[in-house]
Amino acid sequence: MIQLEKISKWYNTNGARNFVLKDIHLDIEEGAFLSIMGPSGSGKSTLLNIIGMLDTSDEGNYRFFGESVFDLKEKKRTELYKKNIGYIFQAYHLIDELTVYENIETPLLYQDVKGSERKAMVADMLDRFNMVGKKDLFPSQLSGGQQQLVGIARALIAKPKLLLADEPTGNLNSKQGEEIMELFKKINTEDKITIIQVTHSEKNAAYGDRIIDLLDGRIQQNIQ
Amino acid sequence: MIGNYYKTAYRNLWRNKSYALLNIAGLAIGIAASILIFIVIRFETSFDNFHDKKENIYRIASYSLNNGNGKEFYSGGVAFPVGPALQSGFPQVKKVARILQREGEPVAINISGVERKKFITSIFYVEPDFFSLFNFKWLSGNAQSVLTAPNSAALSKSTAEKYFGNWQNALGKTIIHRNSQNEIYTINGIIEDVPVNTDFPLEVMASYSTLQHSDMKDNLNDWVSTWSEACTFVELDKNASVSAFNKELIALAKKHKPAEYAKDAYMAQPLSAIHYDERFGNYRHHTFSKGLITALELIGIFLLLMACVNFINLATAQAVHRSKEVGVRKVLGSNRWQLAIQFLSETALLTAFSLIAAIGISYLALPFLNTLLETSMQLNILSANFLIFLLLVFISVTFLSGIYPAIILSGFNPIVALKTKITSKMIGGISLRRALVVLQFSISHILVIGMLIVVSQMNYFKNASLGFDKEAIINLPIPDDSASHAKIEFVKQKLLQHKGIKHVSASFASPSSSGNWSSDFKFDHSDKPTIFSANLKWADADYFKTYDLRLIAGRLFHPSDTVREFVVNETTAKLLGYSNPVAILGKEVNLWDGVIKAPIVGVVKDFNSNSLRSPIGSVIIAPQKNYYGVFGVKINAAEEKNVLAFTEKLWNEHFPDHVYAFSFLDQKIAAFYKQEEQLSQLYKIFAAIGIFISCLGLYGLVSFMAAQRTREVGIRKVLGAMPRHIVYLLSKEFSLLIIIAFLVAAPIAYYAMHQWLQNYSYRTPLSFWIFFIAIAGSMVIAWCTVGYRAIKAALANPVKNLRNE
Ligand SMILES: Nc1ncnc2c1ncn2[C@@H]1O[C@H](COP(=O)(O)OP(=O)(O)OP(=O)(O)O)[C@@H](O)[C@H]1O
Ligand SMILES: [Mg+2]
Repeated sequence: MIQLEKISKWYNTNGARNFVLKDIHLDIEEGAFLSIMGPSGSGKSTLLNIIGMLDTSDEGNYRFFGESVFDLKEKKRTELYKKNIGYIFQAYHLIDELTVYENIETPLLYQDVKGSERKAMVADMLDRFNMVGKKDLFPSQLSGGQQQLVGIARALIAKPKLLLADEPTGNLNSKQGEEIMELFKKINTEDKITIIQVTHSEKNAAYGDRIIDLLDGRIQQNIQ
Repeated sequence: MIGNYYKTAYRNLWRNKSYALLNIAGLAIGIAASILIFIVIRFETSFDNFHDKKENIYRIASYSLNNGNGKEFYSGGVAFPVGPALQSGFPQVKKVARILQREGEPVAINISGVERKKFITSIFYVEPDFFSLFNFKWLSGNAQSVLTAPNSAALSKSTAEKYFGNWQNALGKTIIHRNSQNEIYTINGIIEDVPVNTDFPLEVMASYSTLQHSDMKDNLNDWVSTWSEACTFVELDKNASVSAFNKELIALAKKHKPAEYAKDAYMAQPLSAIHYDERFGNYRHHTFSKGLITALELIGIFLLLMACVNFINLATAQAVHRSKEVGVRKVLGSNRWQLAIQFLSETALLTAFSLIAAIGISYLALPFLNTLLETSMQLNILSANFLIFLLLVFISVTFLSGIYPAIILSGFNPIVALKTKITSKMIGGISLRRALVVLQFSISHILVIGMLIVVSQMNYFKNASLGFDKEAIINLPIPDDSASHAKIEFVKQKLLQHKGIKHVSASFASPSSSGNWSSDFKFDHSDKPTIFSANLKWADADYFKTYDLRLIAGRLFHPSDTVREFVVNETTAKLLGYSNPVAILGKEVNLWDGVIKAPIVGVVKDFNSNSLRSPIGSVIIAPQKNYYGVFGVKINAAEEKNVLAFTEKLWNEHFPDHVYAFSFLDQKIAAFYKQEEQLSQLYKIFAAIGIFISCLGLYGLVSFMAAQRTREVGIRKVLGAMPRHIVYLLSKEFSLLIIIAFLVAAPIAYYAMHQWLQNYSYRTPLSFWIFFIAIAGSMVIAWCTVGYRAIKAALANPVKNLRNE
């Protein structure tokens, strides 16, 4: 599904190349659950953003379902992205002005899903995450864990093939974190959605079926 | 999708109420100002555009081809015989209609033989064809039947109601003009009230042939005199060449006027020009120059532009808070285009709110504007061109103010946006926003300087020494008929007996009056008339005492009822080549080819006999009792009430058939400048709006900077900065921006107002102080605005700010 070849990214500081990622090779099969670990500043988020097509590398090749992502036109890439990728953040990043219902609905609007179908899909999602009673609340009225559930529901609503999560439990207590991880496991096994998560916690990383360890922009360890 | 946008937009606005309110208020006021300007311009440009033949109607107007002393002469009227002369030999002229307006005419109505109602009105003497040129509707009768026979008259509907209760009653009744048994007019027709947007305020009309039996009968054959109220309209053939017709008109004037008037010429002035050309005037005595229309249009566009600038400033200031949403939406699959549309529709929403508020404001403000301008304009929301105007404003404001923020906001990089590290550099050119503030303040400086100059010109008019005394002088009318004239001396003596009255003079007009009588004359036995016209001031010998005119050479004329001696002003002496006024004494003035011949016995110091728009001209003064029309009564100001009660009683006793009316000379003179006064009021309002909008903009910009520097301010405070340091940090650059704006605005304002002042012979100097007040004033107002926001930022809790990062 995902093939990264010789991916490098750097910033120029005082004329010198400061590598954030260096010669990353990575193959990810469809249906995988990958955890990315590593100390702060090691390039985890950068790697995730490149996979998520929000960022580009300075060198190397990225194939997504065989398509060479960096060679695609902006419009094509957005299409590919919209259809296949869902994003979850540590800080949830819900839109404060929209209710739970509307937040979950938003990706569908960008994919031109028709009204009736949209309603059904959102209702389904609310049901699945036990949030029917909270659908008219605004993000500020929810706990952190609940907000992250909305974030996950929003990421899943458009039925992506790949779910990217940057420290999804970073702002949660361990019990809430565990629930999220269980949910990820379930999504991965039942819905066959590929998941790539960045995490600092060994315990959370262990939910994945594969862990890579980044250090100074290089893959240090690749545990299958 | 749109629903989602509007929900976000609406809730966002609600959450940032103060910001939204600021935005809406600024825009609404800007739009309201432009709506009102639109209404004024639409009203003023609609004058007499409802006549079917408007394209082919021309007024024959008079002017001087070139005048020796550089004084141009223009008049909307022509000599009476011009009309009949055009009837034959001019194939391109399809119809000719003459009309004469006589203002301030007394009419009386007998009711049940005993009771009498008296009115003062304008009477139009009209030829029947006037109504085949212009579209005024008849309720009863028609022009041919009503306006052909002498002493046959028509009234407008509301005048008929005023005189006779209802208009049907008026038919067949009579009105007595000037209390004269020879001038009893029979009402044979009624017209519908004329629209407000016509320069023909027809209320009382009499047939033109009536003039043949009146005091005007000799004038009807006079080719020399020009009466500005005696107008001649023609309908030209569609295909006629106007320039060829104008040449024929010049030839016509040459043919009929005596040789010494070779410079007098006629021209065809299009109906569409009459409302705008102040040189020729019109029956409403209200023209609206094209220059003024352009100025108002510019002000309207400026104010809108300023409001849009605010919008841009405030919207980009808010961008920092929206960056996260942009990031999230991009991550959720939105493309840049969709985001741009989203932000544009938010602008559209705000603009729509502002538009609605603006319509409300316009509704409330229109009555005041009508009072100010003495108009009766209406806001007809459903009229097509108003809707088109609103649509244009809506679209242009939405795009002008929305495009830039939309482009900036939609361009955020999602990764960066989600880290909320959006800074001024990413939002793009703080320098652009600075430039916009400079633009805004330049515009408001121009408005303020313009306003100050107009106001100081007004004050100049009010306070200028006119060379005669105008304070505490009452003008009382002397009725026109000979019976009343016989009582002049008697009434004058009665007046002088009152202890509150100091001096009394009977005269044709006050030293400065809107009604002037001018003529050239032959000087010192010359056989050619003077190249200039003298203002004829017929007055008794007490005129000089009453109005405090100063003699500089010779003596005053001796009291007399007819002309035996003349007193002239300094300018007359100079125009005739006498720099030493004494030298002109004893020379003869010959008026109207010997009708009046008398020597000059004295010279008075110059005084302003016209408005201060024009320079002082020649004035000659002599007693001629049958021309007197007004008493000048110098009173003891403290006795005003008593005197007025006394004169009313006296008038009703001695002139029972006439309407008693009085006026204060100083007020009459102030009325000369009514248009300037109205203009200056209007400019005051616009300048205030301009300043207000600029300050809103400034407030927005400071808020933006404060928001951006929250962290910096927080850290500085933790490090020990005092609030005043912070205030200084945030406000220092604005003083500079305002000074730059001033440097841009001052030359433009100077140039524009210098041009405007050229309209006046007497003008206020463009003093340094006006410019100083403008810059100092805007500086103070700006400091208050900036200071308020800066203090708020400086007093904020630093720990809270830092934690939010
Ligand atoms: N705009 C930039 N300019 C220079 N260096 C940058 C820039 N953005 C990121 N970096 C550097 O790239 C490196 C990787 O950043 P990244 O956000 O991927 O780290 P991370 O592994 O996700 O860390 P953390 O666990 O703290 O989130 C860091 O050392 C960071 O300093
Ligand atoms: Mg990270």
